[in-house]
Amino acid sequence: MSESKTVLIIDDDRDFVTAIETLLVSSGYRVATASNGREGIQQAKKVQPDLILLDVMMTERTEGFFTLQEVRRIPALSRTPVIVISSIYTDQPVFRVSPEAGWLPANLFLPKPVEPMRLLEEARRLIGENCQTASAGRKL
Amino acid sequence: MQTKGAPDQLVVVIDDDEVMRLSCQQILQKAGYKVETFGNGHAGIKRIQEAKPPLLIVDIKMPELDGFEVINIVRKIDTDLVIVVITGYATIETAVDAMKAGAYDFLPKPFTPNELRMIIDRGFERWRLTKEAQRLRREKEEVERKFVTLVSHQLKSPLVAIKQYLDVMLFTSKDQLPEKAADWVRRCQVRLGEMLTIIQDWLALSRIDSGSLCDRASSAELGKVVENIIGEYQQVPSGLNVTIKASIPSDLPPICGDPVSISMLVGNLVSNAVKYNRAGGSVSLKACRVGNLVTIEVSDTGTGIPPGAMQHLFEEFYRVKTEATQNIPGTGLGLVICKRIVHELNGTIDVRSKEGEGTTFIIHLPIAENKKEVEAKSGECK
Repeated sequence: MSESKTVLIIDDDRDFVTAIETLLVSSGYRVATASNGREGIQQAKKVQPDLILLDVMMTERTEGFFTLQEVRRIPALSRTPVIVISSIYTDQPVFRVSPEAGWLPANLFLPKPVEPMRLLEEARRLIGENCQTASAGRKL
Repeated sequence: MQTKGAPDQLVVVIDDDEVMRLSCQQILQKAGYKVETFGNGHAGIKRIQEAKPPLLIVDIKMPELDGFEVINIVRKIDTDLVIVVITGYATIETAVDAMKAGAYDFLPKPFTPNELRMIIDRGFERWRLTKEAQRLRREKEEVERKFVTLVSHQLKSPLVAIKQYLDVMLFTSKDQLPEKAADWVRRCQVRLGEMLTIIQDWLALSRIDSGSLCDRASSAELGKVVENIIGEYQQVPSGLNVTIKASIPSDLPPICGDPVSISMLVGNLVSNAVKYNRAGGSVSLKACRVGNLVTIEVSDTGTGIPPGAMQHLFEEFYRVKTEATQNIPGTGLGLVICKRIVHELNGTIDVRSKEGEGTTFIIHLPIAENKKEVEAKSGECK
């Protein structure tokens, strides 16, 4: 990585944010944080992150889902990779959804707590894929 | 005591006798009801269909449709409608027949205004209580549903935060920790994992109870479910170095049930087969079609289940306690969940085991509803 990439963590659990922030910073990422959906959208517009990590159950039970839809409506963020990290997924196999897929356009769902190695791998992969599409887009 | 009818509640009166219609109207309007009268069954039924009133007064003896026929029809339109029958030839038999047909009460002619008012007030009170009970039941169900989700979220959140700290601490600064501290952190991770699994299993059971799992109208491709499960195990290899082999015919018809439930069912059995295996052992997953059922077999090469434990296997929180199993983590809910899912999906689950040789769980599940007609040759057991 020539310049460090920015990851935005949107989660209302302060401790979870601190843990993940520590992990990402130690791996060379810049990190921005927000503790609810509204703040998350503001931060996303400001810092233009390379990746967003998003919780589901915050102040509202489904806040993350609506935040995600709003993120996708902002042109500059419409293709930013988003990983939904939530403890509601622990009893289901991890599944992948296309960014174009209807009402829940996340790139990946991960169960909470998240395996550090797994998160770093997926973050690297998603940011890499997105950079490739973006540069391919510019060439056209 | 005379209860006052709620103003503006509609009472429909069906009677071929005009004098009767008029007097009912006058008495009940004075008592605060809105009254609409009809000279024959057809017109009255039509109005009941449109307005869904709380109360109906109907004469038994009428030309064309009689009172019994009217009751039979309106009962199907609105099961909560309170029906009071007016009968000119008051015999016990007529009254009993009217009650059997679904009337709430009966009023023999001639009756006083007060008698009519009392019976209608009582009928209206009954309707109000029925509606109130329905509302409370719906609210209670909603609260229960939310309770399970919220409580499990509240229980999980602190554990998740703790485990996340430990995971990250071990990952980022393992080398700086004294060996014993690192070991204890790993033990803490394991114990927290156990706690999270209990909450998850408990949540799964309440979701089965509340009907939000085990959707019989859905269908699942067993091949895909098994592929996902094996994929998960390849990512996190068990310490026992157990190999998982699956042979699912590619033309096996989809089975009845949503993929999440089927995945939970097979996942729990595979998890057991791995946990209770011997080092270097194997797990084998087989499936085939038998008529309109799919048979799934999950076998292990483990220590087997002692004969005395067999009858308790599907009991909540029961765990086989032997020297070999004492260090194997588990909640004692896995097989309970399996049994409940299979039951909800109209299937069966059996177990065969031989101590020292291994255990096989056999599941029979119906083929997805719309696939039954498909040629039965595909994926049949050999």
